[in-house]
Amino acid sequence: MVHFTEIVITGLLVGGIYAAIALGWAIIFKTSGVINLATGELTMIGGYTCFALYSFGLPFIAALLGMLVIAILVGILTERLWLRPMIGEPVLSVIMVTVGISFAYKAIVALIWGADTRVFSPPVFPLEPLMLGPIHISQVFLYSFLVAGIMMAVLIYFFQRTRTGLAMQATADDEMAARSMGIPASSVYRWTWIIAFMSCGIAGALLGNINGLNISISYLGLLVLPAVVIGGMNSIPGAVAGGLIIGVLENLGDAYISPFFPGGVKTTFPFLVMLIIMLWKPYGFWGWIKIERM
Amino acid sequence: MKLPTGVHFDNYEADHAWWKTRFVWIRMVLLLFVLLWVIPQFVGDYWLSFLNMVGYTILGAAGVQLLIGYTGLITLGHAAPIGFGAFACALSMYLFNIPYLLSFLIGMIAAGLLSLLFGLPCVRVKGFYLIMTTMAMQFITVDVILTQFLGPLAGKGRGGVLAIEPGMFSIGPWVIYSVKDAYIWMIIICIIVQVFMANLMRTRVGRAWMAIRDNDIAAEALGVNIVYYKLLAFFIAGALGGVAGCYWLTNLSIVSPEHFMFPWSLWLVGVILIGGVGSLYGHIFGAIFMTGVLEVVKLVLVPLADIIPGTMEKFLYIKDLVFGLAIILFLIFEPNGISYRWWQIKNYIHLWPFSY
Repeated sequence: MVHFTEIVITGLLVGGIYAAIALGWAIIFKTSGVINLATGELTMIGGYTCFALYSFGLPFIAALLGMLVIAILVGILTERLWLRPMIGEPVLSVIMVTVGISFAYKAIVALIWGADTRVFSPPVFPLEPLMLGPIHISQVFLYSFLVAGIMMAVLIYFFQRTRTGLAMQATADDEMAARSMGIPASSVYRWTWIIAFMSCGIAGALLGNINGLNISISYLGLLVLPAVVIGGMNSIPGAVAGGLIIGVLENLGDAYISPFFPGGVKTTFPFLVMLIIMLWKPYGFWGWIKIERM
Repeated sequence: MKLPTGVHFDNYEADHAWWKTRFVWIRMVLLLFVLLWVIPQFVGDYWLSFLNMVGYTILGAAGVQLLIGYTGLITLGHAAPIGFGAFACALSMYLFNIPYLLSFLIGMIAAGLLSLLFGLPCVRVKGFYLIMTTMAMQFITVDVILTQFLGPLAGKGRGGVLAIEPGMFSIGPWVIYSVKDAYIWMIIICIIVQVFMANLMRTRVGRAWMAIRDNDIAAEALGVNIVYYKLLAFFIAGALGGVAGCYWLTNLSIVSPEHFMFPWSLWLVGVILIGGVGSLYGHIFGAIFMTGVLEVVKLVLVPLADIIPGTMEKFLYIKDLVFGLAIILFLIFEPNGISYRWWQIKNYIHLWPFSY
C-alpha cells in the first residue's frame, strides 16, 4: 500500500509538469486551431536555454527568468515566420508545418548542444527524499510540481483577469465575433505562442532537473497528446487534469504492467489508455461535443 | 484533357485510354526502355542503390497518398503497416520457409489487416482524433509488437533484427541478389502499384473515396457507404505499405524495428506534401526530391568533413534540419507541391507559343 501511494504521488507530481506542457498545447489549439506537433521542441528549447544560463553561473531563478525572455523572443519569431503565413490553410498543411518546425528546431538544438545527456550541476534542488510518515517523496518532484503549479496559477489569473487574456478567450470562443469586436487576431496568436513557449519552457527546465536533458525530451511533445485527448481538446482545465492523469497512469503502468513485458510499457501505456477512452468518450471528459451540420 | 488538333476517337475505349496519341506511346515506351535497360546498364551500384531508396520511398508514400490525398484520412503512422508487412514477410520466410512471392503476399495482407484494425475507430471519429489513432498504431505496432514480440521470434539478435539470406529471394528461376536485380524488381513493383492506383481512381471505389474527401456528409447523403469505403481505404493503403515493407526486406535482406520509427511516418507525409497531395505523380516527385536533397547534402558534407572536423557526426541533424525547412518552405511558398509546377510546365510546352 505504501508502495502504491508513493507511485501515485510521484505520478501526480510528474503529472504537474506534463500538465504545464499540455496547457501549452491546449492554449494553441483552443485559440488558433493549430494542432501543434512541435510541443516537445518548445520544451526542449526551454530546458536547454535554462541549462545554458545556469551553467553560465546564474542562480536558478535568474536562469529561469532569462529563459522566459528567450522563450518570448523565440515564440514571437516562430509565430511570425512560420505560422502567420499558414492562417486559413488546410489542417494537414498546418500540422505538417509544425512537424517541420519540430524537425528543424530539434536539429538546431542538437547542433548547438550535441546529443549527450546534460545534467544541471550543481543540482538545483536537494537530493535527499522528504519523509511523510513511511512515504518517500523526492524533493525535486515536489519543488517542480510547486513551480509548475505557480506558473499555471499565474496563467489562469492572466486568462481570467487581464485584457489580453480575455481577448484570447474571446478569440477561442468565436474568432469571427472577436474580430468584429475589434480584437486583433494576429496579436492573439502571437500571445498564444509566447505563452506556449513559456509554459513548455518551464516544464522543460524542471524536467532537466529530474532526468537531465537530452534529445529524447522532445518525446514529451507526443506524450502530451494522450493528456489532451483524455481531458478534451478545447478545455484548458481538462488539459491540466489530463496531464495529471497521464503522469499517474505512466507510473502505474511502469510499476505494475511493465514486469510482464520484455521491454516495458511505460511509454506506450498512455497511448493504449487513450485509445480505449477514445472509443468510449471520443471528445474526452471535458471537451466540446461537436455536432456537424450541412 | 488537351489533345492535338485533328485527333478524335470513334469508341469509348480509345477515349478512356491512358496513352492517347502515338507520340505519348513512343515517349512512354522510351521511358520504360530507359528505366529497365539503360539505367541498370550504365549506372553504377552506388546510384542504383540511391534509386532503390527512391523507389522504396515511392512505394511507402503511395499508401499515404491514397489515404491523405484521395480519401482525406490523415495518417501519421504509415510506417507501422510498412514495418508489419516487412516483418510478416521475413518471419514467414524465416520460420516456415514459405517461397518469396507467397511471403510477399502474406506480408501485404498482414499489413492491410493491421491498418484495417487500427482504422476501425474511423467509424466514430475523424479529424484530429483519427490522427491520434494512427499515431497510436505507430507506437503500439513498432515499439511494442515488432520490437518485443515479432523480433525475438527469430530467436537471435537483440532489438528484433531479422536477417534473411540474400539468395532466398527467388521468383521462379530469377534470384534477386545484386543491387541491379533489386532495382529491376523495384521498377516492376512501382509500375504495378502506379497502374493499380491510377486505375483504382477511375472506378466506383476511387470516386467514392474522392467524394468522402471532398465532403463526407454529402457523400453519405448521396448513398456512399462511408464506413465501408473508409475501411477499404485503410486496408488497401496498408497493403501498399506491406508492398513497400516487403521490398525493403528484399533490398536490404535485413529488417529492424528501427527502420520504421515515427520520423519515417512523418517523412512519408512530408514527401507527399512536397510532391503534391491528391496527384498520381505527387509521391513520385516528392520521393525523388527528398531523397535527392539528402544526397546533395551528403555530397556537400563529405568534402566539408575534411575541412571542419565533426561534420559527419552531425549529418543526422543537418539532414533533419534540411527536411524540416524543406517542408515549411514548400508549404508556405508552393502549397500545391511539385506536381502542380510540373503540370504548369507541361501546359506551357503544350500550348507554346500561344498560351491562351
